Amino acid sequence: MKIVTIGTGMAAAEFVDVLRKEGSQDEIVMLGNEPFPPYSPCVIPFFLAGEPLTTVYWKGESFYRNKGVTALLDSAVAEVDAKRHRVRLSNGRTENYDRLFFATGARSWYPQPQWLETNGVFGFKTLTDMLAIDDYIREHATRRVVVFGGGFIGVDAALALWHRGLEVILVHRNTRLLSQMTDEDGGVFATRKLREITGIDVRLKTTVTDIDIRDGALRGVKMSNGDSVETTMLIVAIGVSPNSEPLVGNDRGVVVDETLRYDPHIYVAGDVAVTPHALTGEPAIYATYPNAMLQARTAVRHLLHGDATYNGSINTNVLKKHIDFPIISAGTFEGDPVTWQNQHLFRRVYLQNGKINGYQLIGDTRVSGYIYNLYCAQVRVDKIIAPILADNRGDSYYRSLMGFNQGQLG
Amino acid sequence: MKKIFVDYEKCVACKACETACAMENHPSHSLFGLLGDKKTQVNVRVLAVEHEAFPVSCRHCEPAWCMDACPSGAISRDSETGAVILNPDMCKACAMCAMVCPFDAISFKETHRARYGRDVAYKCDLCNDRVKNNELPACVAACHSGALSFREHDQLRRDQAVKNLRVYLLGEEKLPKNFELYRELRRKEFAQRSGEK
Repeated sequence: MKIVTIGTGMAAAEFVDVLRKEGSQDEIVMLGNEPFPPYSPCVIPFFLAGEPLTTVYWKGESFYRNKGVTALLDSAVAEVDAKRHRVRLSNGRTENYDRLFFATGARSWYPQPQWLETNGVFGFKTLTDMLAIDDYIREHATRRVVVFGGGFIGVDAALALWHRGLEVILVHRNTRLLSQMTDEDGGVFATRKLREITGIDVRLKTTVTDIDIRDGALRGVKMSNGDSVETTMLIVAIGVSPNSEPLVGNDRGVVVDETLRYDPHIYVAGDVAVTPHALTGEPAIYATYPNAMLQARTAVRHLLHGDATYNGSINTNVLKKHIDFPIISAGTFEGDPVTWQNQHLFRRVYLQNGKINGYQLIGDTRVSGYIYNLYCAQVRVDKIIAPILADNRGDSYYRSLMGFNQGQLG
Repeated sequence: MKKIFVDYEKCVACKACETACAMENHPSHSLFGLLGDKKTQVNVRVLAVEHEAFPVSCRHCEPAWCMDACPSGAISRDSETGAVILNPDMCKACAMCAMVCPFDAISFKETHRARYGRDVAYKCDLCNDRVKNNELPACVAACHSGALSFREHDQLRRDQAVKNLRVYLLGEEKLPKNFELYRELRRKEFAQRSGEK
């Protein structure tokens, strides 16, 4: 059997790794549109912050050789012909498959794609982006950067370049940073702390509307509030869209069945797959590593043993990069909020029918694992949640284990 | 695999396990080396819950949720000992592991193993090198009261079942008398302290 992966990202690398661990001797071809071994997108900003490039290769630099894989790199996929079991690359080459693992991930979305033609304007998604940014900073001795977009990737970019010593101006259209990961109160708290800790110049309710170009190079940006800033570097990180066009012809992701298949021969996983939420059933793209990993492993089990079902994704995420200030969030922020906060920490859980519907834990990780488990288990916590949120010793799990909690787990 | 087990009724909260762990993980391997050193790493902590106290640490779960959550290839399982091992050279301190660990067994700081001038995740490594040398984990070796043991889970359960039977059928004492007395003292002291609040 010939197995082809489109993508060399985390889902595809995990898929191939587990296939080989499970003893598969099948021919494997991996198609990638960048020239690198599999790398971790979570790790690549640390390269910009000065850490060794080798650490981004999370499964080793010799992955393709070690796994006995034919890697066709630097080749974008134009189209999947599901009828003929054939993949056509943009360079004209074709590749046949018996089983296809479609894990093309997502790409940055740009409001003004033509900005990228200007020297000094970058995305912040791929290792190619990181290497280009690194080169540019070295060549131009860049001192100041404007980051447009204050979501997860934008804040990640801002912190990495702040860590490198650049003066960072972070421009975000919402009332708070990380507006998808937080509610208003949590986001405002997180934004204030990030400002205090780093000194990053955060401009809210603002967008970058135009760029100032001289001799083909960036000289400054103009913002929606009328401000102009002189800068030779702009990073655009205002959103991503899934690379689902080669398979379904649009960029809305690929809907899969409970075996993660699009058709009997094509598995789909990672940031391009539309899967149900494990607790609510809500179909969406849940683009975090643990989901991608679980999808890849489920696909392997199904491919090799013909029997595996994916139980759904969990939308939990944490942003803790370069500074010791984690921002954790999961679920949806609907229901009755229960909040505990002090000067350094903000913890809020949303309850529905006494069960955790979503939560934000900002400032430390102490109770996060316990709350994550209470969330996943969907047990009633309305009588015990207040002291758990106020726990500063990390003993609440053990208190409930030993029966010392007031109230009962339902 | 062998794991570290806690018989919490025997813990007297002396914290010898914490000290031994800190020494084992310190480059100097000495008590004086630890003093005043902010990079000191302690992978076990004695937690007081009401009148009880017991050491808590990583349980080297199978499957290990931290390992499945780590996006940087920093957490792996030792095939020989079964220990869940964290490689600080690959760790980016992103907290994905801590976010899902039910036991709060993973912490962050700049330890002596941190190479990039920032915090890294650290946790119990089951004293993997010691175990491979047929030695006990440092905390277990240091435990004076027999609260910590390093054993196979199945064997522990069988022994526990036999012991419970002997207590039930033959009336053997469950805990040595001095432990019973000490626990009673702790309960009373705790009740007194709670009453004073």
